[in-house]
Amino acid sequence: MNPPIEITLWQLLFGLLFILVAQVTSFIQHLGLNRDITIGTIRTFAQLFLMGYVLTFIFRAENQWLTLAVFLVMIVSAVFIIRGRVKEKSIPYILPTFATMFASYLGTAFFVSAVVVSVDPWWDPRYFLPLGGMVIGNSMSALAIAIERLFNELRQQRNLVETRLCLGANYREASAEMLRTAISSGMIPSINAMMGVGLVFIPGMMAGQILAGTDPLQAIRYQIAIMMMLVGSTAMTSFVTITIVRKRCFGRGEELLLVPGLTSPAQKK
Amino acid sequence: MNTLLIDMQSLGFSFSPGGKVLFRDLSLQVTEGEFLLIRGASGSGKSTLLRILCRLQSYRQGTILFHGKPIESYPPSLLRNRMLYTTQLPAMTDATVRDNLLFPFSFEVNSGKKHPGEDQLRKMLQDFYLDDVSPDQHATVLSVGQQQRVALMRALLQRPEVLLLDEPTSALDAQSATMVQRIIERLNQEQGMTIMMVTHSDYIPQGMAPKICTLENGKLEVT
Repeated sequence: MNPPIEITLWQLLFGLLFILVAQVTSFIQHLGLNRDITIGTIRTFAQLFLMGYVLTFIFRAENQWLTLAVFLVMIVSAVFIIRGRVKEKSIPYILPTFATMFASYLGTAFFVSAVVVSVDPWWDPRYFLPLGGMVIGNSMSALAIAIERLFNELRQQRNLVETRLCLGANYREASAEMLRTAISSGMIPSINAMMGVGLVFIPGMMAGQILAGTDPLQAIRYQIAIMMMLVGSTAMTSFVTITIVRKRCFGRGEELLLVPGLTSPAQKK
Repeated sequence: MNTLLIDMQSLGFSFSPGGKVLFRDLSLQVTEGEFLLIRGASGSGKSTLLRILCRLQSYRQGTILFHGKPIESYPPSLLRNRMLYTTQLPAMTDATVRDNLLFPFSFEVNSGKKHPGEDQLRKMLQDFYLDDVSPDQHATVLSVGQQQRVALMRALLQRPEVLLLDEPTSALDAQSATMVQRIIERLNQEQGMTIMMVTHSDYIPQGMAPKICTLENGKLEVT
């Protein structure tokens, strides 16, 4: 196999032409996205270069605690991103989300690294961090969708939930299908990805391995393990998080705390 | 002398700490078999008062006793089953009238209750002026007035002790409103059911002397 073709910094700058296309589109169509595109581009360069240096340092250090610390930082960042995406502010969902993500992702990344790929030691940052990063990245999006959907469903179907509560339902019975809808809406993207993989698209990890010179038959094995890991971790994290967050949407008298159309306690009435 | 069912003592309530006070030192007693009408302007807190009673809304000050015990001492689902609140427009699920009437029997708290038979359902439909409605009909295609009566039927099948009615006729035309009012009056007169009904109209039940309360500036005045 030939070694991958190196991209120089000057060649990388050619890529900015694509950003120019996006900027011009936003400008002509008055999309109001020019500022976000600029900030996004700068952040992409800065964050990935920073990550490149950090990963180089961590790979050389080969320290278990350092690897786990980086893993923790990745999860905390994911929680902040979820907080930014979910509009609801009156229900405290951050702590259970973080706790579930940490336990679930650590378990999943450990299992794939130690058992499926059989890395020795299991925390080898060259495997553990990319694998963990993929779990966190995919599952984070699923969780944000599921949490937002749960809040929306409970708000929009408030009358139905309260009618059931009044007829003697407990909070679980009153909101059973809202829970199911929220969890499945978070899981659908990763299930759809399994349907389309290899037919509609070549996943990022597999593409990266092939570009780096790995045998495609070896790359697909990694990818299959990754796809299964993503579906499993998304299902587990969504189920546990949404179950806990749903409980928090109800008060001590099992009354629904979410108020239609309002998102912050200051506005709550 | 009739038993004291609900004893509300010095209730204080605002939607948020430091926010506008809705109730101030509000007290109210309701005895078994009583028909209580609660009147007041929009936003005076009539609905909130009923919602507090069945714990759909939490309160911060005062005590509410049901059968002499704080409402917080009852499991919420049991309390709501005995003190049943119906909203202005109770929700109908996307299913038949029969399914809408029977779904509460699937709840844990109602597991020991006997399901009504087909004959009982049809008889009730007649009693609720729903002769032309079949149990197999889809509930969501019924008129608002018919849905309101199906909702009342559904509530009564749970055999509550107290019925908390939140403006049950406000969204109905005059004919449907009269039908619903007659049903409510019958429930009180014939079955002795305790009824607390919120209304902003001048409705007075026929042939009865209900207790009429007016909510104004956070106080409840019996007139």
